[in-house]
Amino acid sequence: MKKYIIITTALLFSALVWTGCSDFPVDEDGLLITTRSQCYVSNFELLGPDYQTVRTKAAVIDTTAQTINVEVLYGTDLKNLRPQFNLITDAKIEPKVIGFVDFSDLTNPKKWTVISGNRKVNKTYTVYVTVQVKP
Amino acid sequence: MQRKYYSLLLLLIPVFIFNACQNDEYSIPEAKTELQNDCILRSLGPNVVGLNIEFVYAMALGSNIGKINSAQVEATIAGASGTYLENRSFRTNSSGVDTPYTIGNPSSTTGTKTVVTFTKDTCAAALRYYYYIPEEARGKTVSFTFSAKASTGEEVSYEMGPYTIAKMDMKLSLVLSDNNLCYFSVADMIAYTAAEAATKADKIDLVYLYRSITGITFAHALASPANTEYLPGITLPSGVGNSTKFWKVYGLRDRHLANLQYGIYVDDIDFQELDLTSAPNYGINMKAESGAWVETSDGKYRAYIYVNSVNNTAKTMTVSIKRYQMK
Repeated sequence: MKKYIIITTALLFSALVWTGCSDFPVDEDGLLITTRSQCYVSNFELLGPDYQTVRTKAAVIDTTAQTINVEVLYGTDLKNLRPQFNLITDAKIEPKVIGFVDFSDLTNPKKWTVISGNRKVNKTYTVYVTVQVKP
Repeated sequence: MQRKYYSLLLLLIPVFIFNACQNDEYSIPEAKTELQNDCILRSLGPNVVGLNIEFVYAMALGSNIGKINSAQVEATIAGASGTYLENRSFRTNSSGVDTPYTIGNPSSTTGTKTVVTFTKDTCAAALRYYYYIPEEARGKTVSFTFSAKASTGEEVSYEMGPYTIAKMDMKLSLVLSDNNLCYFSVADMIAYTAAEAATKADKIDLVYLYRSITGITFAHALASPANTEYLPGITLPSGVGNSTKFWKVYGLRDRHLANLQYGIYVDDIDFQELDLTSAPNYGINMKAESGAWVETSDGKYRAYIYVNSVNNTAKTMTVSIKRYQMK
């Protein structure tokens, strides 16, 4: 009986060790690479230097055309904005948003690439900013 | 051999237990009867010229030994008018209310020394000291020596400091009004009318205006005279044209500027480390309790302007300012 208990315990322990050591790869940013292939932006926010939104209304995200259209308040300082992207689970975005982004060159809209959780699907979104017009 | 070690170990265990269970003798400590003193700093935040630094100085001696004759504070730089040492000792009652007991005559200040002479037979007191920061202390450090004398001939003293006095200036509750007191000078920390602004054009850094424009949110604005895009309907006085860097901030409610609400302080170091390189020169839709970091066009001053309140009907904005001279 004692022998069986020891064998069973040893087997369970081995199973646990096997499970515990299964390899979850991480990418160069230390983020887990998963099996998800979905790749899209679900929400977009644009904040001013005072961390208040500068949008006049919700941004329009077209996941097929891979565009984001956002209208900002009249008087917004386009040189100092902080974009915030909500992504599908496990996805990441490049280039990383660090500090302020200059959106003042409206003829050359900024682009960000969303990379899926399995790191195999890339989709580049273009962010078009328009400024509310003073009547 | 092994049994020998076990025996030794068994002998050692009771020795340890015996030591561990030894009773330490305890007796209620006797209160010291000689004159003693202690001091704490009560005020918080940066020490700004015009405000005060508050201390509590406590002194005591055995009740049957004698009484306290006097208490004194000496500052390294004489305090401004209004500096005083309380002649009342406070204690907090069971309801949490500070209750005063008068122990002597109101304090007298001569030069750097402030003295209270006790008139009541007192063996213990906690006196508050309010040091009003004088202009000559700006940017320097100030230290304090608290001392007390007893009828027994004993004398004790307590050193506090040094405390750094901020270089920045401060002005509270300036009312800006649309089409009237709307030309604001950071250098003077005053709002001028158009006629006044014309006589000091180089000192006008910002223009206040209120506009209700259909289709956009303009409301209360502070814009540089150089940026006429955000000065609709305003004809600037001749020569007024500075471009002032203006960085909108929300949530930075300085305790000094916000009438002692909230718990944030803007200090000298904030101005020293401020980088407004990419800042615009205007701010529209300014709201109550928001603010802005500002740098004058000549780089001489940096400031933090806090919006205390706005009034859409009267078209006014009440602001308070902390200003730091860079050059």
